[in-house]
Amino acid sequence: MNESLAVRRDARRFDFRLRGVVGVWLRHYTAFKGGWMIEMTGILIEPVFILAAVAFGIGELVGDVETRGDGVKYAVFVAPGIVVGNAMWHALFECSWGAFRRLQTNRIYDSILAAPVSMRELALGEISWGATRALMTTAAVLAFASVTGLVESPWAVGILGIGILTGFMFGGFGLIAAAIAPSTHMLTLVFTMVGTPLFFFSGTFFPISTLPRWIEPIAWALPLTHPVRIARALATGDLYLSLLWSLLYLVVAGLLFYPIATHLLRRRLLI
Amino acid sequence: MVRAAGLIKKFGAFTAVDGISFEVRRGETFGMLGPNGAGKTSTLRMMSGLSPVTAGELEIDGIDATANPRSVRDVIGVVSQHDGLDPDISVRDNLTVYGFYFGLDRDTARRRADEVLDFFALRARGDDSVDDLSGGMRRRLSIARAFVSRPRLVILDEPTTGLDPASRNRVWEQLAVLKNSGVTVVMSTHYMEEAAILCDRLVIMDEGRVLGAGTPDQLIQDLAGAEAAQVRPEEGRREDVQRQLKDGGHDVSDIGAVFVVHGSDGQRADLSTISGARVTYRAANLEDVFLTLTGRGLRDE
Repeated sequence: MNESLAVRRDARRFDFRLRGVVGVWLRHYTAFKGGWMIEMTGILIEPVFILAAVAFGIGELVGDVETRGDGVKYAVFVAPGIVVGNAMWHALFECSWGAFRRLQTNRIYDSILAAPVSMRELALGEISWGATRALMTTAAVLAFASVTGLVESPWAVGILGIGILTGFMFGGFGLIAAAIAPSTHMLTLVFTMVGTPLFFFSGTFFPISTLPRWIEPIAWALPLTHPVRIARALATGDLYLSLLWSLLYLVVAGLLFYPIATHLLRRRLLI
Repeated sequence: MVRAAGLIKKFGAFTAVDGISFEVRRGETFGMLGPNGAGKTSTLRMMSGLSPVTAGELEIDGIDATANPRSVRDVIGVVSQHDGLDPDISVRDNLTVYGFYFGLDRDTARRRADEVLDFFALRARGDDSVDDLSGGMRRRLSIARAFVSRPRLVILDEPTTGLDPASRNRVWEQLAVLKNSGVTVVMSTHYMEEAAILCDRLVIMDEGRVLGAGTPDQLIQDLAGAEAAQVRPEEGRREDVQRQLKDGGHDVSDIGAVFVVHGSDGQRADLSTISGARVTYRAANLEDVFLTLTGRGLRDE
C-alpha cells in the first residue's frame, strides 16, 4: 500500500528526462549518418545553387540595395536571407513531412512512446533535430558565402545561433502541422502556403520597404522576417538595438510552438 | 505482476473496456482471447501507458499504472500490432536506437542489440534494411526489440495476426522459448490455437467484458465438455435437424454450414436419435468455449 502511494506522489513531480530527448535525437542522427552523402545535397549543394544564381547572376543586373542609409551590393544583401531562409526549409521539412512519416506512415512514434519517452521529450527531440539540421545547412551555406566574399563582418559567426533559433521555431511550427494534418496531401499546404511565401516575402530577396505600403505590416509580422533581419545585420556588421525585438520574437515564437505541438501530438496519439 | 480491477476505457460515448478485472502472475503467459472489438487492444494500450485509464485500478509490478504510466514503461516491453519498425535505419540500429530510448549508453545498447539479434536468430540480417525483411521476420524483430531493455513483463498485441502459417509457427516457437526464460507475458489473440498452445491462463473477452477465465484445459472442460459434435444436415433437412436438436434440449450453436453441439458435465452430447444429419465428434477447443459463452464464433463480424 505504502509503495503505491509513494509512486503516486512521484507522478506529481515535474517529470522530464533529458535522456528521452537525447534518445530521439540519436535516432535521427543514426538515420542521418546512414545517408549523409545524399543529405549533403540538400544541406549544401542545393542552397549553394540558389545563392550563386541569385547573388552572382541576378545580382549583376541589380544595383546596390539601400539598407539603413548605406547601400550594399545585392549579393551581400541577399546572402543572409538565403542562408536563414534555407535553415527554415530544413527545419520545416524535417518536422512536418519527416515527422508525419514517422507519426502516421511508419508509426514510429507509437514505438517511441511505448519506451519510457514522454510526449514532451519526443517533441523536443524532433524539434532539436530540426534545429540541428538548420544549423548544419546554415553552417554549410554560410561557409560558402564567406569564401565567396558575401560576408563582411566577423559578427557573421552569430548567424549560426540564428540558424539554430530559426530551426527551433520552424521545427515547432512544422510539428504542429504534422500533428494536425490528416494526410500528406494536406501537409503539402505547409510548403505551398507557408514555406514558399515566407521564403520570398520576409525581406529575404528584397527589402520589405519595397512592398506596397499596406503589405508592409504583414511582412513585419511574418516569422522569417526577424531572423533574416538579424542575420543581415550580423553579416554586414551593422548592429542596432531594435534587433533585440526580432530576437525576442524568434525566441518567444519557438517557446510557444513547442508546447502547442506537444499538446496537439498528445491529443492525436495518447487516446 | 498485473492486477486490474474494474478497469474501464471510454472513447467519448463508446465504452471499449467495460469494467474488467484480472490478475497475471509472475512468470506466466497470460492470454486475452476474443474477436476484433473485444477491447483487447484498448486494455493492452492502457497497460502500456499509451492510453489513459478512464476508471478503475491497474497495477503493474507494484506500480500504480493509472498514476504513473512512465514508470510502468521502464519495466515492460511492448509489441504492437503494426510493428512500428523504423525503415530509415538498419535492423541492428532499430535495436540499438530502442536502447537509447531507455537511456542505455552506446556500448550497452550495441551489446544488447547483438545479444538480442543472436537470441532471435536475426544476426545475419543485422545490416539489412527493415523493408527487406519478410512479414514474419519483421514481427520477430519487433518482438526482439521489446527485449532490448530486459523487461520484466512483455505485452504482445496479436503477435501473429497477418502472418502466413509457416511464419506463425516460427513466432510461436520463439514465444515458447521466451516463456521458458521466465519473463511474464501478456498477449492478445483471436486465434484459439495460439491461446491454447502458448497461454498458461487466459481470459475470454467480448464487447469489453471478461466472460470467462482459467487455464485453457479448465475452460474447455468446464464450458464446452471434452468433445463437441458437429452436425451437418442433409440436403433440405436443415430446419428439421435444428428442431430435433432444440427439442432434445441440447446446447446448440448455429455457425452456418453446421451446428455445433456441446456436451455437459464433461460428457459429450448424445445425438444418436438425430436423423437426417451426419454427426461427427471432435475434441472441444477454445472456439467452442467462446461459442457457448456468446453464441458466436471468434471470427464472426
